[in-house]
Amino acid sequence: MNAITNLSPDLSRRNFLGVSGVFVLGACLPSCARTPAPPVATEPFVPNLFLALEPDGTVHVTAHRSEMGQGIRTALAQVVADELDADWSRVVVDQADGDAKYGDQNTDGSRSILLNYERLRTAGAAARMMLRQAAAQHWGVGVDEVEATNHEVIHAGSGQRLGYGDLAGIAATLPVPEDPPRKSEAEHRYIGKHAVHVDAADIVRGKGTYGADFLMPNMATAVVVRCPWLGGGVKNILNKPNTAPGLLAIEILDPSASAGPVFNPVGGVAVVADDTYTAMRIARDLEIEWADSPNQTFSSDALQEELRKALTQPGTPVPNAEKGDVDAVFAEGMTELSATYETPFLAHAPMEPPVAIADVSGGMCVVHGPFQDPQSARGLVAAWLGYEPENVTVTPTLLGGAFGRKSKPDFGLEAVELSKRLGRPIRVQWSREDDIRHDYFHASSAQYHRAAIDERGHPKAWLERTAFPSITTVFDGGATMPADWELEMGFSNLPYTVENQRMEFAGLRPGVRIGWMRSVCNIFHAFSANVFADEMAAAAGRDPIEHRLEILPASGVLKVPGMQPPEGHGQDVGRLRHVIERVRALSEWDRPRPEGTGLGFAVHHSFRSYVAVVLEASVANGTPTVSNAYVVLDCGTYVNADTCVAQMEGAVVFGLSLALLGKIDMADGVVAQSNFHDYPLLRISEAPATSVELVPAQGRLPAGVGEPGVPPVAPALVNALFAATGTRHRSLPIKVA
Amino acid sequence: MALKLNVNGRDVEADVAPDTPLLWVLRDHLGLTGTKFGCGGAYCGACTVHVNGSPVRSCQLPVSGATDAPITTIEALEAAHPELLDVWVKNNVAQCGYCQSGQLMSAAALLEGNASPTDADIDAAMAGNLCRCGTYVRIRAAIHEAAAQRTGGNAS
Repeated sequence: MNAITNLSPDLSRRNFLGVSGVFVLGACLPSCARTPAPPVATEPFVPNLFLALEPDGTVHVTAHRSEMGQGIRTALAQVVADELDADWSRVVVDQADGDAKYGDQNTDGSRSILLNYERLRTAGAAARMMLRQAAAQHWGVGVDEVEATNHEVIHAGSGQRLGYGDLAGIAATLPVPEDPPRKSEAEHRYIGKHAVHVDAADIVRGKGTYGADFLMPNMATAVVVRCPWLGGGVKNILNKPNTAPGLLAIEILDPSASAGPVFNPVGGVAVVADDTYTAMRIARDLEIEWADSPNQTFSSDALQEELRKALTQPGTPVPNAEKGDVDAVFAEGMTELSATYETPFLAHAPMEPPVAIADVSGGMCVVHGPFQDPQSARGLVAAWLGYEPENVTVTPTLLGGAFGRKSKPDFGLEAVELSKRLGRPIRVQWSREDDIRHDYFHASSAQYHRAAIDERGHPKAWLERTAFPSITTVFDGGATMPADWELEMGFSNLPYTVENQRMEFAGLRPGVRIGWMRSVCNIFHAFSANVFADEMAAAAGRDPIEHRLEILPASGVLKVPGMQPPEGHGQDVGRLRHVIERVRALSEWDRPRPEGTGLGFAVHHSFRSYVAVVLEASVANGTPTVSNAYVVLDCGTYVNADTCVAQMEGAVVFGLSLALLGKIDMADGVVAQSNFHDYPLLRISEAPATSVELVPAQGRLPAGVGEPGVPPVAPALVNALFAATGTRHRSLPIKVA
Repeated sequence: MALKLNVNGRDVEADVAPDTPLLWVLRDHLGLTGTKFGCGGAYCGACTVHVNGSPVRSCQLPVSGATDAPITTIEALEAAHPELLDVWVKNNVAQCGYCQSGQLMSAAALLEGNASPTDADIDAAMAGNLCRCGTYVRIRAAIHEAAAQRTGGNAS
């Protein structure tokens, strides 16, 4: 069921059309004979990949991106339905399989709307145009004389009207226009408005289908015990049971070599049983001897030490980033500031642990599960089996959270391999412990900043260094260094005005798999840069927001070294300044807070959007408390206003979880944490009241929403705690002594 | 051995080992997949159901401990708490939605015992339910709104 509310329906226009229709009809009777309705079509009208109109008027919108809480199934449908001018209550959303015909389906990088907005508008607008043409043809009138609105085509001249479904048959015979007229922003009735998510009514009734909820006949469930260190194979099962009630098979899965190939399963012992609990119970009791691997000596503490060490010497310079002469300014004896910032490994920990169902039979393979990129999963499954992609179907279920984890379909490949071996549908269910210990971890990192500042806290020279294990280490067995696109996440595109600047980076190979987690490298780069800027302001006794506005350029699109943004998406300093000004107002920045309560500010441009955050925090009994969060988002043109607000609210919680609680440690190649008791997430009592302001679209290009809210949160908290207590925390998670 | 249970007002049987957690009996044997597996350790609350009207983490309750008490799951919550479902939908509380069955079961139990909960009451009653998407502020607001509807007033 799809409900949309608070849409401020265009009642005046609808009434006008209704009244004028009746009036004209009355005026021309009896000379205007009514044309009989066209015969009912036998097939749906399918003008393109994203839209199908049933003869009964039901509109199917195909969502080719995965739903993981960002509301994309709803937003994609809003775009199509708006340009179609459909009645929202007659729109249903179908989920697409992974298929190259849709183009990019990789639901990450906060770019579903950025990539598809115009394309889906065109899809809806083309169908609307064709329905008008169909009606005009049927009535024998000019297409300019008919209007399509709210699921009907109306000829005002004769008062005749036909529902969209009535026109499906004729419309299907017409050529699809390539460049149909599209609505102006003012004409939008769903885009930019509030819509209840299309899956909301199912979710609250327990009817949403997530990975583990998809069932196949004759399905068995597997639980895999994986080697505690990456790359270790099974040497021996010491207590392998021959039989047990409900036990179907025990299968050994070989590990992929070291950290690659990219998304192959890590291997282990699979216990296949009639039901999940039986598989879990038998798996829990297995005693397994594991083979050695080079990753067995990996220590996150040792890696962190290496990262810190790397920052003490010159790194690899970002190409074309050097400005002026940093060393000469540092030799001048101005006031200097330097600091090192550190952030730990993190696990994604979506509430739904990885799970997938596969059925390999008769030369075909069908996979269902929470996949962020069903298309690449399809290719990987096909390659795994040696099948043509045409013989593989990968269909996303709802994703019970993902945050980047479910871009990596290793869990799907486990199900595929087991189904191939056992000749029946297999569900592979990960436990929470599996999820925490065998993640593609968000990289730990360290940054070094050094600046020479004047009496106003303005930097005259700025050296920044970053060091972290790159995501590319998963793709390339020889890679050590961060990629330009990782540096472009808040490091090489630092927006501040400084005449003498140098940017250097370093990397290391880790003994675990690195992955992208919501906001990726922006998390640590926004953290260090925003805290360091706050330290400059503090060193000069300046107001942090006033100071920040001063050290930003006045206006214009930034010229940055390193990787360049896509066309039209350069960092616009005017928009950055605007979100800062707005968050200053929203938070009532100048209003005095109680003694012991501090305000902290941070701003960051990421995923082509602009977010400024102010947090209000205090410390009591050694525990930081965040009482209020204020967020201003400029994401250009947005589709579902309420989703944007919700994503900012969620980003505050996600950001506070990593600022206050999140840390994954590895020793001897083994992850120390395992579940929410030792990898805690923020709970409701710790969630601040949150106010969100959305900058109006103003016809700008659509940009990211799911990720850009997270990066400013942790630095805003550090800056707030400094304002509250005078103590500067430079490592995450924050530990208040 | 077949165990007798009363789930959502119906007498049912499940042929499972008595130590099987109620969660897996609901999901794998009774086809009630609305109750979710999140952690297996009673840390996250995704598996919350009502046993004898009280919120229980079904991943930690052996089914043998639930044979003598009525069990309610998310699939049957609407009958007693239509207002909760309504406000949850209307306010887009859910993001990914995976934890929301548990959130709703905890919220319903709170409202059964406390017609007008304060923020502190809500924080205490909902402390066992994690949400990685971070829907907490909407959960708080929705519980207040549902409470107001139940008592015939308006949400503040």
